[in-house]
Amino acid sequence: MTARGVVAARRQTRWRSGLAQIVFLLAVVILWWLAANRWGASPLLLPKPQLVFFELVDILRSGEFWPDLLLTLGEAAAAFAISATLGLATGFFVSVSPALVKVFEPLLAAVNAVPIILFLPLYILFFGLGAPSKIALGATIGFFPIALNTIAGFSSVDRLYVRSARSMGASPAKLVRHVLVPGALPIVLTGLRMGFTVTLLSIIGSETIASLAGLGHQIVNLAEAMEMPRMFAYIVFVIVIAATLNAIVTRFEKRAAARR
Amino acid sequence: MRDPEIAVKIKNVAHYFGEAGDAKHMLALRETTIDFRRGGLLALIGPSGCGKTTLLNVIGGLLTPTQGSVDVCGKTVNGPMPREIAYVFQESALFPWNTIKENIHLGLLFQGVPKNQREDRARQSLETVGLGEFANHYPGQLSGGMRQRAALARALSLDTPVLLMDEPFGALDEQTRMVLGEDLSVLLSRTQKTIIFVTHSLGEAVFLADQVAVFSARPGRIKEVIAVDEPHPRRSGFVKAEKFTRLRNQLYDLLHDEIRKTVDQGSRPGAFL
Amino acid sequence: MNVGRFMSRFVTRYPGWSRLAVVVLFFALWEILARFWIDKMFLSPPSRVYGEIGKVFATKGVPEALGVTFFELGVAFAFAVMIGLALGLAIGLNSFARRSFMPIVLLLYGIPQITILPLFILYFGIGAPSKIAFGVTHGVFPIVLTLVAGVQNLKPVLMTSARSMGASRWHILRYVLFPHMVPSLFAGMRLGMAGVLLGVLLAELYVSISGIGHFTSMFTQAFDPTRLLGLISILAAMAIALNEIVRRAEAHFSKWRA
Ligand SMILES: Nc1ncnc2c1ncn2[C@@H]1O[C@H](COP(=O)(O)OP(=O)(O)OP(=O)(O)O)[C@@H](O)[C@H]1O
Ligand SMILES: [Mg+2]
Repeated sequence: MTARGVVAARRQTRWRSGLAQIVFLLAVVILWWLAANRWGASPLLLPKPQLVFFELVDILRSGEFWPDLLLTLGEAAAAFAISATLGLATGFFVSVSPALVKVFEPLLAAVNAVPIILFLPLYILFFGLGAPSKIALGATIGFFPIALNTIAGFSSVDRLYVRSARSMGASPAKLVRHVLVPGALPIVLTGLRMGFTVTLLSIIGSETIASLAGLGHQIVNLAEAMEMPRMFAYIVFVIVIAATLNAIVTRFEKRAAARR
Repeated sequence: MRDPEIAVKIKNVAHYFGEAGDAKHMLALRETTIDFRRGGLLALIGPSGCGKTTLLNVIGGLLTPTQGSVDVCGKTVNGPMPREIAYVFQESALFPWNTIKENIHLGLLFQGVPKNQREDRARQSLETVGLGEFANHYPGQLSGGMRQRAALARALSLDTPVLLMDEPFGALDEQTRMVLGEDLSVLLSRTQKTIIFVTHSLGEAVFLADQVAVFSARPGRIKEVIAVDEPHPRRSGFVKAEKFTRLRNQLYDLLHDEIRKTVDQGSRPGAFL
Repeated sequence: MNVGRFMSRFVTRYPGWSRLAVVVLFFALWEILARFWIDKMFLSPPSRVYGEIGKVFATKGVPEALGVTFFELGVAFAFAVMIGLALGLAIGLNSFARRSFMPIVLLLYGIPQITILPLFILYFGIGAPSKIAFGVTHGVFPIVLTLVAGVQNLKPVLMTSARSMGASRWHILRYVLFPHMVPSLFAGMRLGMAGVLLGVLLAELYVSISGIGHFTSMFTQAFDPTRLLGLISILAAMAIALNEIVRRAEAHFSKWRA
C-alpha cells in the first residue's frame, strides 16, 4: 500500500470508530429514555434522562460546581506536581547506575502492584480529611508509574549512542541533554501521562471514599440525599471533565514525543 | 485418462487478487498449463512478485484460482490435501508453544494418523533431518537452520507423495543453505517424492532441481523449463562442474531480462518506496 | 577506597541481598521515626504493628470481614476472567466486531469508574454483590484489551500451515488459537487482577458501615494506627499473594517464550 493509501485507510477507520461511538452513545441514551419513561424503571434507580439534562444545564448555568471543580483540579495539580518531581528525580538517579536499577526497579514494581488506595485511611489519620491527605495519596499513587517509566526510559537509550557521543567528546551535561533525555523522552512521557491519569483517579476516589468537599464528595452527597437526577448530572459532568483532561494529556504526550 | 507418471497437472490456471472492478483487482498469475512428472525436484524461479507463491498455494489447495484447475496425484484439488501434499513455508511455521516433537505429533494428528503410529514416525523423521537429540526443544531454542530442518521433518513425517517448499531456506545464511541443500539432495535420491521448490537463488535452483521453471515478469507465467539431468545425491563438487556454470549462466540470462522488466515497471512489490 | 565500585560489584553479585538491605533500611528508618519523633496517635513502629497483629484478628468482626473480602476478590476475578475471555474472543476473532466494538470498549475503559461507585451501592446494596460488581467492571477491560491484541498478532502462516496439514476447525481452535492465546490470557489476568483488587478494595473502603471500610474508619477515628496498619498490611499481603499467584501461573504457561 502506498503511504497515501495508508493515511486514507487510517482516516477512514478513525471516522468509522467515531461513528460507532456516537451510535453507541445514542443507543445508550435512547435505551435509558425508554427504560425511565416507558418501561417504568424506578426513578430512584434510574432518573429520566431529560431531568438529568435539565439538572446538568442548571449546574452549568448556576456555576455552583466551580468551588468543587477548582478544589479537585487544584488537588490533582498539586499531587501531580509532587509525584512528577519525585518520580522523575528518583527515576533519573536510579537509572544512573545499572546496579541501582537492579536493586530499586523490582522494589518499586512490587510496591506498584499493591493497590495503594489501601493506605488512604492511614493518610487520613495522618493528614486529616482535608486536601493534604488527598494530595499526599495522589502523589504516592502517581509516583510509581512515573519513576518506573523514567527508569525504563533512560535504560532504553542505546548504549551505542552514549558511547559514540562520548567518543566525540561530549561532556556529561551535554550527554544528558542531547543523548539521554531525547532518547528516554517517549517512555518518560508515557509515564507522566499514566501518572497524571492515576493521580486524578485517586483524587476523585479519595473524595468519594472520605472527604468534605470536591467533585467526588458532591456525588456522594447527592447519592445520600437520593437526589438522583442531579447526581447523574454530576457524574456526567465529572466523566466529561476527566475524559477531556486525559485527552489533553495524551495529545500532549504524542505531540512532545513526535517533536523531539 | 489418468497418467500415474504425472504428479501435478495444472490446467489453464490463472489468478486475480481482489474483486473485479475494484482498484486492487490485479492479475497475479497469467494463464498457465503444465504437467509436472512424478519424482524429482522442480524449482520455480522468477522475479519477485511474479506469482510463484500464488502458484504454489493454488497447487496446495490453500488458494482457489480464479480460473482453471489443478490435479495432484490424479485428484482435483479443492482445498488442502493433507494426505497428498505437505508444505514447508519460508518463515518458520512451527508452533512456538510446542516442542519439535510435539509439532510433528500435531501435524500427524491433523492429518489423521492413529495415535500409536505417531511416535515412531516423529522419531524417524527427526533422525532423517539429524535433529534426534533436539526432539524436546522448543523452536525458539533452535537456530534458524535447525528450525527449517524441523519444519522439513514435520513435512516428511506426513509421508505425502508431493512436497511444496516456498523459499524454505530463504532466511538462512549461504553456508547453512548449502548444507541443507546437500541433505535435501540425499533425501531425493532415497525417495520417489515430487518436490516443488521456490527459490530466488540461481545456484540453489541448479544444484537441487531436476527441472527449473523460469517465470516471466509480473504478472507471471512459466516462460521456460530447463532440465538439469544430474543424478541425486549431488555432491558439493557439482557446484564447480562446467555443467553447473553453464546452466547457471543460462538461467541468469533468462532471468535478467525479466528482472529488468519488473524493476522498470517501477512497482516492484516490497521495494523501498 | 572506592566505595561506589565496591557497592556496585556487591549489588551485581547479590541483587537479592541488596534489595533486602534496602527493605530492612526502610523499616529501620520507620521504626526509629515512629519510636522517637512521631506522635504514636498517628504512626506505629513496624515492630509494634507486627507484634499486635493478633489484636487485629481478635477484633470482633475483622476475621469475617477479611474472609468476605477474600471471597469477593475471588468471585469478582472469576467473573472478570469469564466475561473478559468471552468478550475478548468474540471481539478479537471477528474483524467486523473488532472495528465496531473496540472503540466502545476503549471509550468505556476511559471512564473514571470511581464516579459511579455510589450507583453500584445504590443498585446492589452494601453487601458483597456491589463490591463484586465493582471489581468485575474494573477487571474486565484490561482482560478484553490484552486478549484482543493477543488474537491479532497470531502469525497467519501458522493458521495456513495447520490448514495445509488437514486441521479441522476444532483442531485450529484447540491447538493453534488456544495455545497462542494463553500468554495474553495470563497477561490479561495479571492486569485484570490488579483491576479487581482496586475495584473491590475501593468499594470496601467506601462502604463505611460494614466490612473492611467499617474497621478502617473505626480504627482511624479511634486514632489506633497499630491496628489500622495491621489491617492494611494483611490486605496488602493478600493483594501481593494474589498477584504473585497469577504472575507465577503466567510464567509457568509462557515457558516456551524464553
Ligand atoms: N493476498 C494478496 N492480496 C492481493 N495481492 C496479492 C496477495 N498475495 C500476493 N499478491 C500479489 O500477487 C502477486 C504475486 O504474488 P506472489 O506472492 O505469488 O509472488 P512471488 O513470486 O511469490 O514473490 P516473492 O518472490 O517476492 O515471494 C504480487 O504482485 C503480489 O503483490
Ligand atoms: Mg513468494
